[in-house]
Amino acid sequence: MSAIFKPSANFFARFSLVLVATVLGGGLLGLWGYFRTPYAQGLQEEIAQPILFDHRHHVVDDLIDCRYCHFNAERGASAGIPSTEMCLNCHAQIWNKSPKLEPVRRSYFTGAPIEWNRVHQLPDFTYFNHSIHVSKGIGCVSCHGRIDQMPAVTKVASLQMSWCLECHRNPAPNLRPRDQITSMTWQPPDDPAAAKTLAADLMKTYDVHSRVSCTTCHR
Amino acid sequence: MPSMKSLPVIQDEPRAPGHRSLWQSVEELEARAAVSRGEFAAGAAEVPPELSRRSFMQILGASAALGGLAACQPPREKIVPFVHEPPEDRPGKRFHYATALSFDGYATGLLVGAADGRPVKVEGNPAHPASLGASSTWEQGALLDLYDPERARGIWRKGQPLSWRGFLAEIQQLAKVHDADGGARLAFLLAPDASPTQADLLRRIQARFPKARFHAWAPITEENAAEGARIAFGRPLDARPSLDAARAILSLDADFLSGHGESLRLTREFARHREPGAGMNRLYVAEPAMSLTGANADHRFRMRGTEVASFARAVAVKLGVVPIAPALSPELALAAKAVAADLSANRGRSLVLAGARQPPAVHALAHAMNAALGNVGVTVTYSRPVLGEAAPSAASLPALAKEIQAGKVDTLVITAWNPAHAAPAGLDFGALLAKVPNAVYHSIREDETSRRCSWRVAASHPFESWGDGRSRGGVASLVQPLIAPLYESVSTIDLLASFLGQGDRGAMQHVKAYWMARSAIDPAFFEPQWERWLRQGVVPGTAEASETALVDVAAVASSLGRLSLPKGDGVELAFAPSYGLFDGRFGTNAWLQELPDPITKVSWDNAAYLSEATAKRLGVADGQVATLALGNRSVQAPLKVMPGHADDAVTLALGYGRSDGSAVSKGVGVDAYPLRDAGAWFAPGLSVKAGKGKHKFAIAQGHFGMEGRPLALDFTSEKWGHAEGGGELEHLRGMPATLQVPVDYSKQEYSWGMSVDLSRCTGCNGCVIACQEENNIATVGKEQVAKGRIMHWIRTDRYFSGPAADPETITQPVMCQQCETAPCEYVCPVNATVHSEEGLNEMVYNRCVGTRYCSNNCPYKVRRFNFLNWRPEVPNVQTLLFNPDVTVRSRGVMEKCTYCVQRIEGARIDARAGGKKIGFVQTACQQACPAEAIVFGNLNDPQSRVRKLHDDARRYDLLHELGTRPRTAYLVKIRNPNPELA
Repeated sequence: MSAIFKPSANFFARFSLVLVATVLGGGLLGLWGYFRTPYAQGLQEEIAQPILFDHRHHVVDDLIDCRYCHFNAERGASAGIPSTEMCLNCHAQIWNKSPKLEPVRRSYFTGAPIEWNRVHQLPDFTYFNHSIHVSKGIGCVSCHGRIDQMPAVTKVASLQMSWCLECHRNPAPNLRPRDQITSMTWQPPDDPAAAKTLAADLMKTYDVHSRVSCTTCHR
Repeated sequence: MPSMKSLPVIQDEPRAPGHRSLWQSVEELEARAAVSRGEFAAGAAEVPPELSRRSFMQILGASAALGGLAACQPPREKIVPFVHEPPEDRPGKRFHYATALSFDGYATGLLVGAADGRPVKVEGNPAHPASLGASSTWEQGALLDLYDPERARGIWRKGQPLSWRGFLAEIQQLAKVHDADGGARLAFLLAPDASPTQADLLRRIQARFPKARFHAWAPITEENAAEGARIAFGRPLDARPSLDAARAILSLDADFLSGHGESLRLTREFARHREPGAGMNRLYVAEPAMSLTGANADHRFRMRGTEVASFARAVAVKLGVVPIAPALSPELALAAKAVAADLSANRGRSLVLAGARQPPAVHALAHAMNAALGNVGVTVTYSRPVLGEAAPSAASLPALAKEIQAGKVDTLVITAWNPAHAAPAGLDFGALLAKVPNAVYHSIREDETSRRCSWRVAASHPFESWGDGRSRGGVASLVQPLIAPLYESVSTIDLLASFLGQGDRGAMQHVKAYWMARSAIDPAFFEPQWERWLRQGVVPGTAEASETALVDVAAVASSLGRLSLPKGDGVELAFAPSYGLFDGRFGTNAWLQELPDPITKVSWDNAAYLSEATAKRLGVADGQVATLALGNRSVQAPLKVMPGHADDAVTLALGYGRSDGSAVSKGVGVDAYPLRDAGAWFAPGLSVKAGKGKHKFAIAQGHFGMEGRPLALDFTSEKWGHAEGGGELEHLRGMPATLQVPVDYSKQEYSWGMSVDLSRCTGCNGCVIACQEENNIATVGKEQVAKGRIMHWIRTDRYFSGPAADPETITQPVMCQQCETAPCEYVCPVNATVHSEEGLNEMVYNRCVGTRYCSNNCPYKVRRFNFLNWRPEVPNVQTLLFNPDVTVRSRGVMEKCTYCVQRIEGARIDARAGGKKIGFVQTACQQACPAEAIVFGNLNDPQSRVRKLHDDARRYDLLHELGTRPRTAYLVKIRNPNPELA
């Protein structure tokens, strides 16, 4: 009676085992990699807004401070999105005939609010508070990126928990003086020693703690 | 499964010396000798009947198919900013506004918290004399009523909708018709309300229609008290007790620790003097069914409701107030003698209180006793009645019915709550309403009455309307709205003003104009005053002054002589307001329906309560459905044996058994009104016949049985002296023997802890609803409660000790103990419950996969599991109710108390953003507690109150022997019995 399996069957058996392991492993690795891509994290995705609002112009050309419109960033959990009325503080006077601002005027006169599309979206079980971050010396740019260079606001940080924890475990390198909070260009001193001294100094002055208890953000 | 009895720790009788074995319910007492009940409540492990196997498979398949989609990005949210930003807007910030909630006429000052323009939490106003910062279940529950999706909306006439303008025009027309005969065919049936603006409007309506009739009516009235004062003093006066100085208190069926008006203040004053020492008070209660006050008594004398008068008289005879002692049983005669001796020993520091259910003569006698004891001016003061004309009268409804029958009423305006449902037996008021051409019913909900009225006007919720009110004692408060009316609705003031042709003026203008006229301040300077009153929540200088009043002892004695005493040994039926639903007005409130009764722990039901001996004598059993008959009227009611109930008496709570209202109220419990005569509280000659069925109660206690361990500890004040010196609690506190290496929390800036003083806790359940509101806790319904799935994070356990017929009671609030070595944490496979560096046992909902190992391993059974999605479809309006600072949990997630961590973190952010230390943080339960039994704070602050209480001699740890090192400390209850009655 001849053998049922030829010797070459051994090769196929081994090969298919390797194949299964590769496909499974590769798949998992692929998924692991995929969720780290900017695409999966929704980074650099330009989100259409009902009004062609350009931060570049308002921040760079007009030198308007972030807190003029996002008035609540220093005082509350939410930074606040400006009301229609606030837009018209200026645009009642300038560009008040611009067809691009028609939706703003319509909102003002009809009382129907403008519906913006959210860019920075946290899960409902995560409680982020702007005021505490600002008061401890975290700049706008640290999380929101170079808004002054964005035609349409895009997300630059993944906002995933690991990203939050990087800073929550070691806040020192991300601190800056409070008067530089809204600066888009402030950089720590080039000299690493000086940067370290400044960071240590700010940690002490602003009484910054590393807070990593779950309930710091999840309640 | 091994029998629970085989486990030695559980088998042990209490180890605290001098302790009797505790039992929680009659069922448990009976089951003690029987075999163990098994691990789960009956049916708890089964899939609910609504979910068949087939649909379960469908859902399983669908969730597998949709599982892949879940990984996609969530849908993009919108941000919708204001068009015109209010100047005070701070997105996400909580603002508190002072307002007041009137309840059967009397206002309680509140601070209502609003987040982004929607009220989300009710707190008491510390500046208001009836609240003192505390709030009761009813004030808390009012918030759920606001967001009830089944609220009435719009104005309807004969089924046709009317606009507000259209309504005003119609009322104008009606008013003109009534002008012709001076309002002879116009009548008002009003809810009692001490609102000065409303009284002013009514005066003006009376002036326009001199012949119009005004009836104030409510199912529960205090006419007996008013009549009692009239007998004793010759004029109506409000008695205002003050317990601060009282050392010996006799309650004659007065449940002063619950109910409305001043129970929050009285609870605080009572609780403040329950600590061992010279200032400790002693409470005697004579009553039929066990009430909250009776449960807190040092000596409770059970007797039928009509026998309380004889007992009162026996005490009065010993005090020398009236002659002729009544016939009493030897035990009660002995008790009366001892009570009288104690009261006289505390001359000027004692107090006798008579309950609203007692006849006027008993009230008059109580006044006479207080006068004889020299208490007037110290523990009780008298002032002019606050409600005055607006005081409800039970007789008003039959009187009105007669007028309707005679065809003398063309227009009837009803603001009273649901007269068609709560009308006295035999008076078919609903049918009569159909005879009134224009019956205008102003109510917040469609109910039994609105179906029979030709006009229905939706009422605004108090949190949506302008108004004012007065507390007991007269202090006025302004009512300001927190939110625009959610539905098209009308406030009472607007409705009444429409009869003056001023309905379009706006309620605020009416209130403001009234107070401007009354304050006599130059209008130019009025605005700042008005703003201050609104901000503070009280109008200064409005309290009624106390008056001197002399008791006419002869009149009291003659009224006692006229009192008919119960004859024979028939069974007496007693009616009582329900602890959850009061007279039924909260029937549509799911929080209050699910709230277990403080004594019997029955949820979603009422029952005919009776004593074990009576049940035996009548040949009926606990849980049996019986026919309760009074003459030719009868209702079917399930029976429940209540420990400590008087013999030969049955108590039935009002407020249940609605035929209408909403899905929440319909068909829950038994309607007692068909048995009740106008204003009657006790009815003799009840026949109880056992029926066939057996009723299934949802009792929130069986599954919390703690099997005879030393849990809720009590000592008598006498024994406590020895125990304190003898270190009898030493083995129940301190570092337990454990293999764990304890974490050192002493270096932390904050180390959170709590203490619960059992001496102070009255078991009122205010904390339970406050917690439910603060933490977005779901209600689950009767069927699920019966399966042990009630979701309350804090529960009030209630234990009985001593003889079942006449037990002593102790209540114990239990929430997560935040164990330092928490058993739940070791067993969680996904680290969903972990410890914070400040000692909190954190629950991370988004990590939880629902293994329930933690709950299994929790010795305190304080973890709650979302067995189902309790909120599959939340109506849009109810999403406004959710506290935005707390995650709303879904199915398959474990949840529990975390000492209101959202409040701690909120306070931390506010403090640290300003460079300060966390100051004062209160948990929701602590803030609501009128007795100040719950204290929370930083254990590492040697000055904090909680630190001092943790170091108190009365402190012990719950289940200390397990080595869990709880952060919640309990303080033993001290009873203060009279040595003569021991």
